[in-house]
Amino acid sequence: MPTHGLSRRAFIAVAGISVAGALAACTGAPTGTKHLRLSSWNIPLDLESYQAIADEFVASHPGTSVAVEVTTGQFHQWFITRLAADLAPDIIRITPQQIGRYAANGSLVDLTGAVPADYRDDYSEPFWAIGAKEDGLFGVFQHTDNFITYYHRGVLDQIGVPAPASLDEAWHWDEFLQIAREARRVTGGYGFGYGWSGPETAYRWLPIVYQNGGAFLGEDGETPSMDSPEAIEALAFGRRWYAEGLVSPANMSKSGGGAVARDLFLTGQIGLMLDNPESIAALDEGLPDEWGTAPMIRNTGEASDLGGNALAVTRSSKHPELAAELVAHITSRANVVEFCRRGNWLPARSSLDAADIGYERHADTMQQFIDQAGTIPLSMVRAESGRYFSSLNSVFADYLDLCLLGELTPAQSGAQMTEAMRSVTTR
Amino acid sequence: MSPHVESPPRRRARWAPYVFAGPAALLFLAFSLLPIVIAIALSFQDTATLGDGEWVGTANYETMLGDPLLRTALWNTVLFTVGTVPTAMAIGLALAVALNRPLPGRGVLRALFFVPMVAAGVVVGVIMSWIFNPDYGVANNALAALGLGGLPWLTSPRTAMLTLIVVVVWTRIGFCMVIYLGALQSIPAELREAAAIDGASGWQRFRRLTVPMLAPTTSILLILNVVFSLQAFDVIYVMTGGGPGFSTTVLIQYVFRSAFADARMGYAAALGLLLVLILLVFTLLRQRATRRAEELL
Repeated sequence: MPTHGLSRRAFIAVAGISVAGALAACTGAPTGTKHLRLSSWNIPLDLESYQAIADEFVASHPGTSVAVEVTTGQFHQWFITRLAADLAPDIIRITPQQIGRYAANGSLVDLTGAVPADYRDDYSEPFWAIGAKEDGLFGVFQHTDNFITYYHRGVLDQIGVPAPASLDEAWHWDEFLQIAREARRVTGGYGFGYGWSGPETAYRWLPIVYQNGGAFLGEDGETPSMDSPEAIEALAFGRRWYAEGLVSPANMSKSGGGAVARDLFLTGQIGLMLDNPESIAALDEGLPDEWGTAPMIRNTGEASDLGGNALAVTRSSKHPELAAELVAHITSRANVVEFCRRGNWLPARSSLDAADIGYERHADTMQQFIDQAGTIPLSMVRAESGRYFSSLNSVFADYLDLCLLGELTPAQSGAQMTEAMRSVTTR
Repeated sequence: MSPHVESPPRRRARWAPYVFAGPAALLFLAFSLLPIVIAIALSFQDTATLGDGEWVGTANYETMLGDPLLRTALWNTVLFTVGTVPTAMAIGLALAVALNRPLPGRGVLRALFFVPMVAAGVVVGVIMSWIFNPDYGVANNALAALGLGGLPWLTSPRTAMLTLIVVVVWTRIGFCMVIYLGALQSIPAELREAAAIDGASGWQRFRRLTVPMLAPTTSILLILNVVFSLQAFDVIYVMTGGGPGFSTTVLIQYVFRSAFADARMGYAAALGLLLVLILLVFTLLRQRATRRAEELL
């Protein structure tokens, strides 16, 4: 009986042609359109905001297109492997702690000519220093966040202590520990929590060192200095948190993945928490109207965590000038306002306050965060956004853990940490 | 003499194995052999990224000799492997023996024990971090309900490794059970009946008959479990990040840290090759032991 279907040879020929065609389509042959890829953390609201801002850009730049992608998995693994394949996105969203290595090793493009000169005037020196290095501008800081003190209203009422309202009323270390002891008595659990979310965020403890006049790296931004008396005194202060049972041992940088402090706060096991704005949504849902905020603690000096993200153009970009132009567009004053309003972020630009952003909720709290951002020291920013910091952060996590656990004395931790840091900076 | 001409079917038959094996061989070359060769080359370089490295001879290997963190990681790897492998295999065997008998709901029980093996390591890690949280975890609440004090589980260098071993054993026993079940069902029933008729007790039948008959399976399971333990990364990364301190930093984690956190690709490649070497030596030893066991049977 005659068959009308494809013969085997015809089928193989058709399949071969199809595969060849498909492969040809994958080669990215020029179509005339300049295509850019922007990669961001997987935060749905932010992905929408980036795409909306990018679409405006495309509308005013005929012959271009922009796709927003998600940065997957561990950042360094993701970025290094894509750079090696020359397939990194044109633009990446990158933290201050990550940017230094890639700015130094030629993985990022100098944006100096593409960013309008007046941008610099709207940034504080520390925030501009995140992207500005000796040999160029390798990123523009888009938004920030930092740590302030959250408190449970009921707990503070029972203690009978008013919460400080402004930076010049912020609790000093000893005052804070005294209140934390009282908070522990009230909660029956612990006094307070610290907002780490895994080993990669160990650096969030560095403000404590700077609050005591210490420094992670010396004046040159490269010499380890965690063995200074000020740094060791800060480590001793941290050790007291755990030795006195004021902080849960589950709440440490390496062993505290997720949001341990927030969970403890929500379950009423702590009455105070040093944390960033990311907790606001969870507290609104779990403890509506039962929480308030006060400035970050201080000692001889003030300091808070350096959170947030910059935008940078990678060396894989086939259209680096266009990508740099898009970075300038996204970090324009108007777009920073829109981005921060939708995503509840703090603006990196100095001229913007909570009223300019128009936050839908907790405008006072957001203004408190914006004010606190002014206490982030330049030397800490230089240390954290320096070329060695991604490696130094692991060392810091190791020895901070050992100190807080009491496995090493503060002096031993400071000395051994400095030695281990030196092996990184002299490598 | 007329020249020998192969018929088309015979010619096809001669090429057929190469055609069928070709794609698999190509994949093996591209994704296994070539990366190993590149890793070997990388281990003689100093590079922060994957490329443009500087040749440094054996410097990375010399660094390994004096690296105290590597010694700690190796020791932790031994502890973790010794803690997980025999325990998972022993419990897996016990479950297989139990579920090889006609029990009500046997199929469901077998599936339930196998489920943890299917779950993604990251998911297991996150859930177990909650369960073993000393402040609000189920584990300490259960101990409290029994009138017992809580344990620090993952937050103390003295208990963190033990907690990880418990979690990994839990994920592994289903796999061991299924393999042992298959092997148990292949032991002829006549042998057990004959031993029973000869007066062997239940324990004697298990000890003198079942265990020796399972020797080849045990060998394979041992190799696979050791490989699994040497490659255990996700659960540890999520649950402890190698801490507290360095108490749960194992070799595979140190390789990852060296490569991506410390940006020492050359050194990480050298560490990775050390791991490969350990696996090779162990596999060869086990193969020799298995051959002897099979000869004795």
